[in-house]
Amino acid sequence: MVDYEVMVGNKACAVACKLARVKVAAAFPITPQTSITEYLSELYASGEMPGFEFVNAEGELSAQIIVQAAARVGARSFTCTAGPGLQFMHHPMNDTASGRTPLVMAVVHRGLKSMQPDHSDLMDQSWLGWVHLYVENAQEILDTTIMGYKIGEDARVRLPVAVGYDGYVLSYTAEPVEIPPQDMIDNWLPPYKPPRSLFYDSPEAPIGRGGGDRGGGDPNMAWKIHHGAVEAAESVIKEVTADWAKLTGRSYGNGMIQEYKTEGAEVILTAMGTVAGSASAAVDKLWKDGKKVGLVKIRSFVPFPRKDFQELAGKYSAIGVFDRSIQPGMGGPSYREIKNSLFDTGSYPVVAGFVGGLSGKEVTVNDFVKLGEKTLEFAKAKKADAHPIWV
Amino acid sequence: MIEIRLHGRGGQGAVTASRIIAAAAFEDGRYSQAIPMYGTERRGAPLTAYVRIDNVRVRERELVHTPDYSICFDEFISMNQIIANSLKPGGVVLANTKFKAEELPLAGDIKIATVDATGIALKHLGRPITNTAILGAFAKICPEISMKGVEKAIYKYFPGRIGDMNIAAARASYEQVSELVPAINKEAPKEVVEIVSGGYGALKDVSGWRVFEPVVDEEKCIGCKNCWIYCPEAALEWTANNKPAMISRSCKGCGVCANECPVKAIEMKRVEVKKK
Repeated sequence: MVDYEVMVGNKACAVACKLARVKVAAAFPITPQTSITEYLSELYASGEMPGFEFVNAEGELSAQIIVQAAARVGARSFTCTAGPGLQFMHHPMNDTASGRTPLVMAVVHRGLKSMQPDHSDLMDQSWLGWVHLYVENAQEILDTTIMGYKIGEDARVRLPVAVGYDGYVLSYTAEPVEIPPQDMIDNWLPPYKPPRSLFYDSPEAPIGRGGGDRGGGDPNMAWKIHHGAVEAAESVIKEVTADWAKLTGRSYGNGMIQEYKTEGAEVILTAMGTVAGSASAAVDKLWKDGKKVGLVKIRSFVPFPRKDFQELAGKYSAIGVFDRSIQPGMGGPSYREIKNSLFDTGSYPVVAGFVGGLSGKEVTVNDFVKLGEKTLEFAKAKKADAHPIWV
Repeated sequence: MIEIRLHGRGGQGAVTASRIIAAAAFEDGRYSQAIPMYGTERRGAPLTAYVRIDNVRVRERELVHTPDYSICFDEFISMNQIIANSLKPGGVVLANTKFKAEELPLAGDIKIATVDATGIALKHLGRPITNTAILGAFAKICPEISMKGVEKAIYKYFPGRIGDMNIAAARASYEQVSELVPAINKEAPKEVVEIVSGGYGALKDVSGWRVFEPVVDEEKCIGCKNCWIYCPEAALEWTANNKPAMISRSCKGCGVCANECPVKAIEMKRVEVKKK
């Protein structure tokens, strides 16, 4: 039976671990992630997670190594962290991905310059070849954490998946969440079977670091295989998201992006994570005033929905991109990726790069109304202000 | 959509109360959302939390800036205009205080109801945790949630006997809450009193956080310094006659000193809230 509960984002994450029958979790506490582990403990104590092991690690680096090892020998594994804790995990995260080790990690966003949320912590990890999914609300945390296992464990992908969601405004915010029944998830997500061989001579083996063995001595080979695996994740994300929609009735666009009122729109805004919620409320207001502004929520940052934006490019005269992080000196990450995606299409809508919500700065519905109006102005002028446009 | 702002202190359960309101609304068949405003809070620090109730899933993820309702869990904060500020015109303030609604020094185009939630909490729970003790009153004055929903939600957070005690407190406040009375002063005072002191006690004045304060019986005191060692705020000074004395601006009234005293020479006395 489908159950409902008013719960905070961090509890939705713990409940998803229970439903996915996670066997091993290891973590080190850091605000705003800590209460996930507390909820896991409660679920375990109440007997709802038989056979579950929680390893209290002495730091994030160890936590990552513990879950990596557990996943390698076939235990469905989970870890979670935030901000500087994620940075401390950086080194072993590399091997988790290189070793083709599927697991799910919740990243409860905490910016790198304050305790409050922005996306700088997870953006910082985008070179490691994990799958990075950004989610908007507590229901999406629960759904995406379960989907994360299905995506990551798929033989075409076999990669770790990071599910990023904003600290405080989502991790501690309570809202109604639909909890799917355990037997439904058991049927949909069978127990994890690791590859038969962990050695490099097997066709399903990890990539390793040097990669010499599988590339006939070519040192490029490890990166080539890894790049291919991340690219292959795109179609798997789409399949799994469609499958989840059939199973639960809850749909998240095509999995890579989720469109809202884009049909008939002149321009679109893009957003990632919690701000997409406020942005969709802003879009309703804009349409009410006769301003045709749609919203594209970017769910997957790695792999980036390049094809989706190439298809969108010809339909709208301008795209107002909202980034909740900035790489100093380089600009907003999704702004750069979107521009990069459009170059080969031959259609060049105006692309405006807004940056805001950093270090927890509040981004309101009215802010997004203004961004929509600004994007319409840019479309009219056929030119946007220089990037970044601070919000 | 209706929006609610909650004012309280760390330890009074304002954040839990926000979740109980959200759960109660959901029990009544509505959608809801409860957002706490967190910093590096600690017991006694003023904090706010917010609730939205709507007929559709709440997508807005910003703090509530113009609430319809403001609920204050703390007797001291109840005397402060901040609980009445930026409400929608005709908005409602529910304050925990012994004073009558018409006696509260609040201003604006607002209506005020009061209830002695601290008294109710001390009677039913034995502790000044006012969250459930004010929720019954809120169910009475707010047509958006029902007492039945509140009771169901309280049981979700506090099953068993603790739930019964909290529901008894909520029912008492449902019965005892005053009528809604328009504020006497229509114009809000220009000056804003800063009551949200973050940071740490040694640097900030936290005297307004106390519900109880330590009173030392110098006859009984043996001068062992246990209280001085265990005080988490360094809020006790050592007097010339080898006895402890409260540093008023640093003491948040936690009662650790009274608890640690081996000869029970420290009594935690209820602080009386006076009108300005």
